[in-house]
Parts: sequence; structure tokens; C-alpha cells
Amino acid sequence: MSQQLLLKDIDEPGLSTLAVYERRGGYSALRKALKMSPADVLAQLEASALRGRGGAGFQMGKKVSFLPRGPIEKYLVCNADESEPGTFKDRELLQKTPHMLIEGIIIAAHAGEIERSFIYIRGEYEWQADILATAIAEARAAGYLGENILGSGHSLSLVLHRGAGAYICGEETGLLDSLEGKRGNPRLKPPFPANQGLYQGPTLINNVETLATVPAIMAMGGEQYAKLGVETSTGTKLVSVSGHVQRPGNYEIELGIPSREIIYELAGGPPPGHAVKCWFPGGSSAPVLTAADLDVPYDFESMAKAGSMLGSGAIIVVDDSTPILDVAMKVARFYRHESCGKCTPCREGTNWTVKMLQRIDSGEATPMDLDIMASVQEHIIGNCLCVLGDAMAMPIGSIIAKFREELEAHMEAARERGGAGEHAASQLALAAQGARDA
Amino acid sequence: MPRPQQRTISFTIDGREVQAPENTMLVDAAKHGDVEIPVFCYEPKLGQPVGACRMCLVEIEGIPKLQTGCSTAVKDGMVVHTETERVKTAQRAVVEFLLVNHPLDCPVCDKGGECPLQDITFGWGPGISRFIEPKRHFVKPLALSPRIAIDRERCILCYRCVRFSQDVAEDDQLVLAERGAETFVSTFDGHPYDAPFSGNIIELCPVGALTSRPYRFAARPWDIEDAGSVCTLCPAQCNVHLTVRDERVLRVQVRDNADVDDGWLCDRGRFAYPALNGRPRITRPLLRDGGQLREVSWERALSEAAAALGRAGEQTGAIAGGPVTNEEGLLLSRLLREGLSSPHVDSRAAGTLPLDLHRALGDPALQATVSDLEFAHAALVVACDPITDATILDLRLRKGVRRHGLTIVQATAEELRVRGEELAAQLSGAGEEVVVLWHERLTAGPEGIASAQALLAMAQRLGLAGIDGAGLLEVPSAANGRGLREAGVLPNAGPGLSEAPPPAGPSREGRGADAIAAGLAEGELSAVILMEADPFLRRSRREAWERALGRATTVIAYAANLNDDLHAYADVIFPAQAYAEKEGTLVHPDGRIQRLRPAVAQPGQTRAQWLSLVQLASALGLDLGVRSALEASEQLFDVVAFYAGLTLEEIGGKGVRWQERDAAGAYPIEQPA
Repeated sequence: MSQQLLLKDIDEPGLSTLAVYERRGGYSALRKALKMSPADVLAQLEASALRGRGGAGFQMGKKVSFLPRGPIEKYLVCNADESEPGTFKDRELLQKTPHMLIEGIIIAAHAGEIERSFIYIRGEYEWQADILATAIAEARAAGYLGENILGSGHSLSLVLHRGAGAYICGEETGLLDSLEGKRGNPRLKPPFPANQGLYQGPTLINNVETLATVPAIMAMGGEQYAKLGVETSTGTKLVSVSGHVQRPGNYEIELGIPSREIIYELAGGPPPGHAVKCWFPGGSSAPVLTAADLDVPYDFESMAKAGSMLGSGAIIVVDDSTPILDVAMKVARFYRHESCGKCTPCREGTNWTVKMLQRIDSGEATPMDLDIMASVQEHIIGNCLCVLGDAMAMPIGSIIAKFREELEAHMEAARERGGAGEHAASQLALAAQGARDA
Repeated sequence: MPRPQQRTISFTIDGREVQAPENTMLVDAAKHGDVEIPVFCYEPKLGQPVGACRMCLVEIEGIPKLQTGCSTAVKDGMVVHTETERVKTAQRAVVEFLLVNHPLDCPVCDKGGECPLQDITFGWGPGISRFIEPKRHFVKPLALSPRIAIDRERCILCYRCVRFSQDVAEDDQLVLAERGAETFVSTFDGHPYDAPFSGNIIELCPVGALTSRPYRFAARPWDIEDAGSVCTLCPAQCNVHLTVRDERVLRVQVRDNADVDDGWLCDRGRFAYPALNGRPRITRPLLRDGGQLREVSWERALSEAAAALGRAGEQTGAIAGGPVTNEEGLLLSRLLREGLSSPHVDSRAAGTLPLDLHRALGDPALQATVSDLEFAHAALVVACDPITDATILDLRLRKGVRRHGLTIVQATAEELRVRGEELAAQLSGAGEEVVVLWHERLTAGPEGIASAQALLAMAQRLGLAGIDGAGLLEVPSAANGRGLREAGVLPNAGPGLSEAPPPAGPSREGRGADAIAAGLAEGELSAVILMEADPFLRRSRREAWERALGRATTVIAYAANLNDDLHAYADVIFPAQAYAEKEGTLVHPDGRIQRLRPAVAQPGQTRAQWLSLVQLASALGLDLGVRSALEASEQLFDVVAFYAGLTLEEIGGKGVRWQERDAAGAYPIEQPA
């Protein structure tokens, strides 16, 4: 088992309470950080080279350093709208060790000289929100939050805000709009949140896991943390493994280990008698990889080189018992349902893709439809306002590219099976008749 | 507040170097190089770009992804491509996506022929569609309001209407309901979209999703002509395009003028046009004969009117109403003064104000413009309710608050008189550029003169005369109130606010509107001319005017539409032109001289007012020296000293503020050296 920073005490009974958390050394990293200047704390974060754990993988220290310095109205927002299919790592942290997150938020706010913070938690995490609310109240009562934290002169307010059930509110600017009380639609970037975010003020937005890692970095030192993992992907990462594996769950790994080790050794691999058909390495929005890619090291760079992405660190394994069309349909339907509708390619492209997939299943498609579908995916990628459109187009595009034969066989079988096939045949015959008559 | 200064930079677009103002968005900067970047959601009048439609994607060297030209500010040295295969692929893709759910009902769509979606599909689209699935369906069309129909199948979800409602009119009624491909535009709870500026969303819509219910199926773009004019329904004098088919006005649209209306129009201006057409109009002269109004020939009406006026002579009064042009006002006052030796002519509803106060309030050094309202630090709104008095100014004030942090302070006339110092301190706190927006009613009533003096004291206290972007802005009661005053339609002033010409003199004062009513009621006056004036509009004056007109020997009216009062009291009614038929000039509240141009022919036997005034004068033996509308305008520019040298060409389509011309020096007020 590799080094455990986040899940070290995760099964300790009562860890969600302040007493147990403190007994396990909790808030000592905060005490250490409060004795340092914001610039020194920031230097530790930058030295750790910690990359954001929400999906984009942007270096957290850099993000903090982009904020204008000085005591101006700026905000820290913790993105706890964990909605990417297959991702459930933040839930475990929120539920079992909320104080680790709170401690991380206070340290990060200190580094950014921020005095107001928010946690935006997805609406369905009702139980976790209750736990978090209790933890925040405890932290406030203990003087970790509020005015003049532990006599350091630094102050921080923390507001817990529940979403209302929209995937798009996990997109950082959609989250900000929602937090401001508007319809949760993504904004144009630039301006980036670091310059103009919540209420037009400079805003630091980070994922739960990213912020929860901060106390560990403070405790061990940024440079020491950077020694974990590989050069461009430092530290440990929570991986949510789901799908056709024998031991699904969250695992903390050191970045850079072979993916096979996670899927087979930690999660137990597919059930006996089955083989991996494809797998999503970073949530349902990542292009799929196949069994041939199992030895790719699990880190940001290697995944990108393999044509996919590490994303939120959610591995979804699909074994050979599942038709690939079902996988594509599941993914496309999800994104069609969650598209906010603001920009054209995503709104129309996700809708069109689902309709084409349905025709494959009903036997009314031809191989040409796969070419159209592939081109529709290309027309979505890179042309949207936010990355939601890409999040469907990338996996669907990769499925068409890698499983074209199976999809063609599927549509052929469906055509032969269904009445629709006869209908199509009679249409063809009529057309041929028409051409002869002309 | 300092207005943005723009530096010119050069950038390269499609291989050519082009100069453009720095920081303008690429879609606008491209126009400087004659390059069109197609857009749907971009509309700078709505505020910040949203980048929703993705139609304007362009390639910028040094940036890996395609960028939206609507939200990318041009920088010096930028290299932009709009015609590469990569850009074209993206443009074709976006058009194809937009058409996925757009119905092919162009042949029966009102927008067909003037539709940006058609134009862009033709110019940038792929030419074919690969979409063979069923399209999205909605019940259609639905009444979004009594005036607007919504066809949700045609909607391309560009957000323009919703942004207008939320960010410009700030009525917050329109929203997008549902999400993704199921999204549709709606009012929040399904109630009708009822707001003073709702009609603007029809013009903003880049497809046929929002159409005007009165205009639906009334014409096709190739049947119609577009005529530029000015709306005279209120003093805001918004610039309009009149859609004309077969000599009928079928639609009123905005004619963007940033210095007047900022490109918006109120619903009254937009939807009141049916009154211009058809039956309620008076189209032949009417004469009271045996107690009944009967249609008669012009010759008969003119001779009867001239005979009656000749009998009344100097016991005649005249009142010019809101839509009367400067030229008509000038000729009317000359008819009274020179033809009948009567000084009793007025255009103000508010009572008579001493000439020196008129002059002081109109001092060119003290006049603010409409756009000053937007950039000022503070606006003092006195005795004025913009939404009813000059509707479009409501949007300008909101824009000032939203974009430039304008502080608005409201006060009544009494507060201005009593709490002047307090108000001034409050305004100065916001900054030195203060615009005082006041309504003519401030100078009405027994305290009118005191209020006018308090207003001047406020201007003095704030030093408005010496500050650029600050000053007074009066909303007159009548649509062309300012112009009529400047043309000399006042009992105590001649053209150009000169000393009242004969027959007024030290021993003979002209009567204002109220005094004319009193004179008629007491038998001191016997005839009155009501030129497009309805003295009954002000309820408090109703009794006085009923007595006046009941006692008057002769009531002569110029009117476009008949109403009960005219029916009861008028002896002669000359059919008047509506604003869509008129030729002449108006003066906007901030001194901008604007042109009215005939868009449609006048109905029936209607004659231009200038012509019938000339004929009436001639019957009374007076030659007004005018043989065409142009000559009437030239006479106006000759007699108003501070209009000297003006021509209709100079006024042009956007108008010209006389305060900004050299002749303004001839304004009759002592300027401190």
C-alpha cells in the first residue's frame, strides 16, 4: 500500500468530530501555517506542485498566486458539486473527514489573504451537507473560523451552500452564477475567476480533494510532498473505481503507478471469466481506453499521451458483457440531460448524438451515420462555451474510433432483427424503382 | 465621469493590416477592414457579450483554440483569420447545429427576407443538412403578450430577449426555462410579458421566434419601404423607421441614434401607429352648419374661418399643441401677430414665465445632453417621472446606474425650493458632473417662478455652467415644446426668445393659455385657434376651457382625429397631418434640431398645415412669404438668431444641437466674460 495522506485515518470512528480529528493531529497544520506569512504558505503550496483534483489538473499554488495580493474583497470557493459520473471520492472526504477540508480551506485562504469562503455542495449530498454543517459549527466555536483565528489576526467566514441538482454547476463559472443566486450557466472566460469571479471579485476555486490535501502539504512541507508521485504529477490521488470490478471503492494511490495495479490489484479486476473491454480513466468525460492501455502509468501526463485524461480520477471499468452501444448511449444521454443549453454546439450536438445512437439500436442507421456522428463530435470539441460539450464528444468520439466494428455489427443485427430493417429495405426498393422509371 | 478615450491600433485580419479603436471587440474591429464576422447573440446594446451562439469563432495566431470574436478585444499587432478552413468548418458546424431544430417554415415566416439566420445560413452555412431525426416541437405560436407572438420552434436560444428584459429594461420578466435542447424562452410564471419596452425584443430577435402580433402576415420585406422619421408622441422624440406598404404605416422600428434614444423604442411609440391609418382620421375640412359639423370644401372652410377671424381680429387667441412643428408654430404666431394684430399665442400648458427666466433656463452654457445623463456622476430628477414624461429616458438612467454608477436623487418642486442646499450637498458628494432633469410642470402654478429661480440657484450652486457633461435638461409638456418656444410661440417672446414683437408692447401683454381661456370666458376674446392642441387633456383646466369654448364665438381647430370635445365646440376643423406625413423640424429637449420627413401621403383632402396657414393668412390679406415646406424651414432659420445658417442637409438624419454651432453665440443672454 502506498503512502496514505487523505485516507490515513478515514475509518477511525468519529473522525468527523472535532475531538477525534484534533486527537489525530488535526488543525496542527493550520497552527503552523498561521505562524507563517501568507507568502511563505503560498511558497509551500507552489513547491508541492499539487495539481487540482477536480478534473482540469491546474496547479493549485499557481492559481493562488494569480490572485491580486492585499486585503481586497476576494473569495475562496470550494467546489463540492461532485457530479461527474463515476466520481465519489469527495463524498467520502466530506462524510468522514470534513475537518480536513475545513482546515485546508483556512490555510488556503490564509495563503491568498482571503476573508470570505464558501463551500458549494451538490444538492444530493444532503447527509454530507449536514455533517459538514456540524463540523463548520464546531470549527467556528473552537475559534478556527470567524474573526481573528487563534489570535493570528487572520479572519475567515465560511458559508455552506447547497446546489439544486445540476451537473453544470460543477463547472466553476456555472457554480459562481448559481452561488450568486442566478441560473447556473457557465460564463465566458476570460475574465477568469482569479480576476473576476464571485460577485465580480477575485476568486479562488478548488475541488474538495485539492483543498483537503493542503493540511498534509503544510505538515510535511511542499518539497517533501513533491517527492511523492512523478515529476509532473506529484503526490497521492484518490481514485474512485467503479463498474465491472470486484472491489469497487476509493483508493489513495501515488500518482504514476501502472493503471493495471489499480484496476486489478486494488479493485480486484473484472469478475471471473470476464475481461476488460474498455475503461474510462478519469470520469465519464474522458476518452475511453482499452485493455491494451492497462499498463499506462496513472498520472496526468501519461494519460494525456495515451489520448485520454486523468480528469477527476474516476476509473469506470466496462467488461466484455456490455455492448459498447449501451456505454455510448449512457454517456450521451447523461450529457444531453445536463447540457445547460447556453451554447449551440453542446445543446444541439448532444441532442443530435443521442438521436443517432437511438437509430443504431432501432436498426434504422447505416455505417454512414457513424461518420456523421464522428464529425458531429469533432464539431463540438473546442467550439463550446465550456467543456461540457467536449465531455460528451471526447468519449463518444473515442468509442466510434475504437469500436467501429462492433457498432456496425450492432446496427446490422438490429436491422435484420427489427421491422425497421424491412421498412428500410422496402424504401430502398422503392427508390430503385423510382430511379428506373426516371 | 470621464468618457472612454480610444486609441487607434493596427491589427491584421485575413492578411490585411487594418486600423481600429483599441479594445473594440473583434467582430466590430473587423468591420474597419470590411470583414464581416457573423453573429447571432452579440448585440453591444445589451451589455457584455455572452459568447453563447458560437457563430463568431475566429482563429487568432498564438492562441490554440478558436476564439469568439464577439468577446475578444482587439489588441495592437493581433493577427486574425476568419477565412481559414478551420474557421469555416466551425462556422458551418454552428449553422448546421442551429438548423437542427429550426423549422423550414421560412415561406410563411414574418422574418423571411429580413432574417439574420437566413442570411448567415446563406453566407456561412454548409448548404446541406445531415440531420434526419425528428425536430423539437412546441405549441405555436403562443401569445407572449397581447403584442408579441412567440414561436419556440424557431428560437435559436441566442439569449437576446432575455438579456434585454433582465439587463436593459430590468423588468426581469423573461427567463429561459428548462435546459439543454429542451430550453425555451418564457416569462417566469407564464404571465403575459407586460412591460413598457417589451416590443424591443421583436427587433432583437435574429429569427422569427418573436413577432409583432399587429404586424404578423401584414407584409413581406420586399413589399415594404422604410422611411426614417421622428416619433412625436412624447418629448423624447425617438428616431424611428416607419415600415410603409401601399401608403400605410404598418410598423414602427428603431432608428438607432445614440444621442437620442440609444437604439430603443417604447411600446407606445412602437404600437400606436394604427391611429395614423384609416377611419378615425379627419380627411376633409369640417364646418359647423346648423349646429352640425359637416364636411365642406377647403374653399368654404377657409373663407368661413377667415371671415370669422377677420371679425374677431385682435380678440383672437391661439394655442399650438405637442406635435406642431417649429415651422407651423412660427407661421401660426405670425398669422396672429401680423394678420390679426393679436399677441395672444402660446404653446405652454404651464402658465406664463417671464422672458428672462425662459432665457436663463435655456442658456446654452447650462444645457445637458441626453447622453450626459448616462455618464454623469449624479442626476437630480425634479418634478419629473421619466417613464411617463419622456419614456425612453428611463432606460438611459438605468444604463447610467448600471454601467457608470450614476447616483439618482429625486425631488419635488417644493423640495427643490426648500431643501436646495441639502440636495446640492448630496449631489456634490457623488461628483461634480450633475445633470438636473426637470419637467416643465416645475414652473407651473403659483410657485412656478420661485421654483424656476430655485432651479437656477441650484445650477449656480453646483457650478453646472462651467462643467462639461453637466447641466439642466428640461422635459417639456409638449412633444415639441422646446422648438415651439424657440420659434416664438409664446405670449411674451418672439422667434429666438427675442423681445415680444408687436402688437405686444409695454401697454399690451400677450395672454398665455390660461389667460386665453379666461379671456374667452369673460368675452374679452371671441375666437381661438387650437392647432393640434387639446386643452382638455389637463383635467384641472377642464371647467375653465368648457366655459371658454362655450362662450367663444369661433373655435377653429387643426386636428388629425375627431374627439367629443371638438365635436361639441369646434366651428371649423381643418384636417391635420399626422407625424408620418409631416415635413418640418422639431427641437429635442436637449436642443437637437431634428427633421420630420413625410413617410406616407396624407389621407383624403388633408393639406399641410403650413399651406393652409398661408392660405388663411392670404385670405386675411397677409402674405407669409412661404411657398413650400422648405421655404418655411428657411424662414425659421432666418428669424431665430441662434439657428442662423442652418440647412436641412446639416440637420440630416441624426439632427444637430444648435448649442454646438457657432450661431449659438447669438442666444439672447449675457455671457460672463
